[in-house]
Amino acid sequence: MKRRRTFNTALMTTILSAVGAIIIGLVIGYLFLLITNPERAWWGVIRILTIGLSNPTKIAKVLYQAMPLICTGLSVAFAFRTGLFNIGATGQYTIGAFFALFTGIQLQLPWYLAIIAAMIGGAVWGAIPGICKALFNVNEVITTIMFNWIAVFAVNMAFTNLPMLVVDYWGKSSIRDRSPVLADANANAVLPKLGLDELLSSNLVNIGIFVAIIVAVIIWVLLQKTAFGYEIKACGYNRDASRYAGINAKRNIIYSMMIAGALAGLGGSLYYLSGTGQYTFVKVLLPAGFNGIPVALLANSHPIGVIVSALFISYIQVGGDALQPRFVRENIDIIIGVIIYVSAFALLLKIWFGKLFMRRSLSAYSLRDDDTSPPEHDQPDDANEKDGEKR
Amino acid sequence: MIIGDILSATLIFAVPLMLVALGGMFSERSGVVNIALEGIMIMGALAACLFLRYVDDAGFDEKYRQLYVLAAIVIAGVVGILYSQLLAFASIKLKSNQVISGTALNMLAPALSVVVTWNIQGTAQTTILIPSWVRISPEALGITADNVLTTFLFKSLFLTTPIAFLILILSIFFLYRTKTGLRLRACGEHPQAADSVGVNVYKMRYLGVGISGFLAGIGGIAYTMAAGSGFLSTVAGYGFLALAVMIFGNWKPVNILFASFFFAFFRIISFYSKSLTFLPKFENLVSSEYIYLIMPYLVTMIILVLTSKRSRAPKAEGIPYDKGRR
Amino acid sequence: MSEYIIEMNGIRKVFPGVIANDNITLQLKKGEIHALLGENGAGKSTLMGVLFGIYQAEAGEILKDGVPVRIHDPKDANKKGIGMVHQHFKLVEVFSVLDNIMLGAEETKRGVLQKKKAREKALKLSEKYKLQVDLDAVIEDISVGMQQRVEILKMLYRDNDILIFDEPTAVLTPQEIEELMLTMRNFAREGKSILFITHKLNEIKAVADRCTVLRKGKCVGTVDVKDSTVDSLAEMMVGRKVIFKVDKKPADPKDAILRVSNLSLTTEASGKHQLHNVSFNVRRGEIVSIAGIEGNGQSELVYTLTGLMKPTHGTITFGEQDITKCSIRERNDLGIAHIPEDRHRYGLVLDYNLAENMILKSYHTPQFKKYGFLRFPAIQEHAEKLIRFFDIRAGEGPDTPARSMSGGNQQKAIIAREVSLSPDLLIAVQPTRGLDVGAIEYIQKQLIAARDEGRAVLLVSLELEEVMNISDRILVMYEGKIVAEVDAEHAVRQELGLYMAGATPSDFVREVM
Repeated sequence: MKRRRTFNTALMTTILSAVGAIIIGLVIGYLFLLITNPERAWWGVIRILTIGLSNPTKIAKVLYQAMPLICTGLSVAFAFRTGLFNIGATGQYTIGAFFALFTGIQLQLPWYLAIIAAMIGGAVWGAIPGICKALFNVNEVITTIMFNWIAVFAVNMAFTNLPMLVVDYWGKSSIRDRSPVLADANANAVLPKLGLDELLSSNLVNIGIFVAIIVAVIIWVLLQKTAFGYEIKACGYNRDASRYAGINAKRNIIYSMMIAGALAGLGGSLYYLSGTGQYTFVKVLLPAGFNGIPVALLANSHPIGVIVSALFISYIQVGGDALQPRFVRENIDIIIGVIIYVSAFALLLKIWFGKLFMRRSLSAYSLRDDDTSPPEHDQPDDANEKDGEKR
Repeated sequence: MIIGDILSATLIFAVPLMLVALGGMFSERSGVVNIALEGIMIMGALAACLFLRYVDDAGFDEKYRQLYVLAAIVIAGVVGILYSQLLAFASIKLKSNQVISGTALNMLAPALSVVVTWNIQGTAQTTILIPSWVRISPEALGITADNVLTTFLFKSLFLTTPIAFLILILSIFFLYRTKTGLRLRACGEHPQAADSVGVNVYKMRYLGVGISGFLAGIGGIAYTMAAGSGFLSTVAGYGFLALAVMIFGNWKPVNILFASFFFAFFRIISFYSKSLTFLPKFENLVSSEYIYLIMPYLVTMIILVLTSKRSRAPKAEGIPYDKGRR
Repeated sequence: MSEYIIEMNGIRKVFPGVIANDNITLQLKKGEIHALLGENGAGKSTLMGVLFGIYQAEAGEILKDGVPVRIHDPKDANKKGIGMVHQHFKLVEVFSVLDNIMLGAEETKRGVLQKKKAREKALKLSEKYKLQVDLDAVIEDISVGMQQRVEILKMLYRDNDILIFDEPTAVLTPQEIEELMLTMRNFAREGKSILFITHKLNEIKAVADRCTVLRKGKCVGTVDVKDSTVDSLAEMMVGRKVIFKVDKKPADPKDAILRVSNLSLTTEASGKHQLHNVSFNVRRGEIVSIAGIEGNGQSELVYTLTGLMKPTHGTITFGEQDITKCSIRERNDLGIAHIPEDRHRYGLVLDYNLAENMILKSYHTPQFKKYGFLRFPAIQEHAEKLIRFFDIRAGEGPDTPARSMSGGNQQKAIIAREVSLSPDLLIAVQPTRGLDVGAIEYIQKQLIAARDEGRAVLLVSLELEEVMNISDRILVMYEGKIVAEVDAEHAVRQELGLYMAGATPSDFVREVM
């Protein structure tokens, strides 16, 4: 009974702080719409919030865009649980896209092998920063940023040097700045649709969304139920203690970054194996990877929560597209940016909401019979002070 | 002459890197990890470009054009300060995760910039053109000689270049010779110690982040002027590169100077890869310029790995400071 | 003019859930050394925090020279002449001694540092009070004793005349303690007033004029030290009679389980010897203590034994097996348990609940793992068993977040976990630090019980009392070397002190002769 209550309390506060962040994001987004066009601002907000469910085609689009977001969100979330910040999801996503298309088009292999190839590619790309972190203690934030750019340039170079991976090879177009239409190059590599396309009258949906959701559930089981998940979380919470316990923290950092990379790579493969998008060779980072960060933050790095928050981010992005041409779609990015900004101090919000909605049991405090200091000093502050004992 | 061109290009791209890396240094030395440099650069560049655009449209006195550039630089710095305070507020006052807050500001800045540009210039006008007169031509300085040295120094000279070197000297003086510099460094190493002798840690951190905002804002316009083509709501990852410069420079101003030239040089090599005869051409590859684009990042990575043992970050960076209950 | 330079009347300070100071009165006379005595958690540090402006009291007043004052922050306290040497030094490690002394009280000319002036002033003070320091040395390179002198100079540099010393002797050798006491008496003679926070009774007897005793946030009373005995002070502090001697049977040591030979550790960066040719044995059924001043290689020794660090030279043999190259996990599984010195950094994952913490070292065994999945019912049951057996107080049982538990119960949980592994060797590093007398007694009894069950116990402690009370053999470490081995029964405090300061037994013999 008691266990359930603590569980619900934690869940409630997480959800409430996420909702709080979203509301603040929307209010600020609304202010920008007001500045641009006061008469249509309210229309804009309503459009952002309703268009995603307005018809089956839009629903299909929401699911389609949520699919890679779930994967990159899981990627960021999984690394977070190990105490790592994977800004490199976008690079791993790009590598995944390349490996999927290479396997599907160059090697003419079916979609499921393409997915596996993408995950391996992403895993390798994630492993390198992981190794740098584990063996040389190079900050993973910096390395993953570097590897994002290296991924984009390397992938562009690889595409342009493999004639089969450029659209003009397949004869229907003479442009050379993107990958071919997948159905032309290898119909077997396109993700099956299982009749979803007819159901939602859109060719955007396919089994990819189910793959993403199933993977999220697998990740949840892995984290919550297995000994490996126990190790990973111990590393994330307290790396020194995990080492003390005999957990190989270095190996787990590398594993964790490999899994994170594989997840992001999966995202890249699902998106491009849908057959509806072509990879264009431009020198910019793909936003699908970066948006994994707000997805993970909103979900408080919970794998099941990632599904929900990815659907939400996708939903308002579809809404944002529908703002054009009255408003520029970057208004949505402002909303998302604000959401991350607010989520960064979500802990504060959580405490705030916790106080507002829940009556905290005093038992936690009445136990501190021999600790006369304020509770926040009880946190491990080794980094601040060499010694965690003195308060 | 190509050597002179390369050196000159290296100089103008080293300037923003150095400015922004110095900015990052001030923030981190006060104890706040500032990953938002990229975003701050964008905001600074946006404001300065809009100002220059406005001056150009409104008409101006030819004689004072470098004064307008100076004004634009100051505006970039001030807007940088303002934007950086969003990071300061979240990470100092609200004790947020500094990396996440910085990432948020990096995602926010280009979006804000597009929305503002769109609002000011009208639908679909996403490029802000920079007037060509911002450059200081050698003729204006009365320089007629044409050799490697003059090309290096004057071929593409902007007001930001001398200002950057002035800032470098001031930074060294401020950090090591003044009371505030001493206190700021103490806050990044051991804030409890600073607090116990009456130094206001929060104030020092706001200051550190503020200086980083000022320098990153200026760095933003310096980059945009160097890039030449106009402002497209992006600084092409220079803010991140500056972070690498700062780490490579071991959080020390003089080292940062050298690191920024090193990075800029690799960057420029990729632009000139086709015309430099001594560089391998990779004839079999379709788009070999990518190799040279990858280079600086790869070199950074290798350097980071090799120097990881020697590198010494401020000890308290990234950790929110909590005075305890008041 | 008031008789007291500082009066704290009716001070009350509440933190969520605890009343740290409840109606406390403290009166400090000019020119006296006034001890503030209490157990860990009695509220001494909080009270001094209030005086030093770190905390604001909810009730009560502070008078200086009979005039009510408000102290808003440490800067304010400094202006009013109050200085403090914190238990954990507040020094910037990468700064020079001089930079640390002047930080916060800089001599400047239009914002520019005037280091020359500061140097002169610091030099003068260091000569006057015989506080020898090297002004240009960087803090991380100097000894703990010199760091403390820097802290004292910091106060003098600010012309403070009310000096607070927070547990200043914890990091010093007995000889250094004598020196410090001399310095303190010098200060008092000069008219400076000293507040001396401690829980060590003999130090109070040695140096203090008066003593105020706190217990559980309340003021027990103020006494003249010359009218009181160590026993009476102890009773005031704990609230009952205290038995200083721990009950224990004579040891019955068996075969050696741990053999360390020629163990050395050199740090890559500095090339400094952290450990130098360390050799010793620990046998089943005995408690071997490592005594020494903090930072003389004890932590490094434990880290190399447990596998957290790799030694540069030497071998570690456990039972019949050479474990020098074994991983931490392999050592744990072989039967080495480790109660770490820093329970928050190493001992617990504070964000895990109690049950999850109890399996930290055994989650990978078949008892708790099957086909890679954790066996939650077994984990829950295991935690409940340990909670009952070791009397761990946790509000929500196995589901209690470790973070919300008190320090004493966190330590009990760690000991429960380590002892429940049935180790052949139990390494305990400062297991009683920061705990109250009840918890200390409990933990010392557990260690002796482990010994009596035939386990080998290696105890690392900075408290000489503890070392002398519960161990069977004492090894003294100094600068990474074992300088002496002493039979605990015949150990003399002064002798141990000399070894801790680097004397070797041969020196000692010569001196005595």
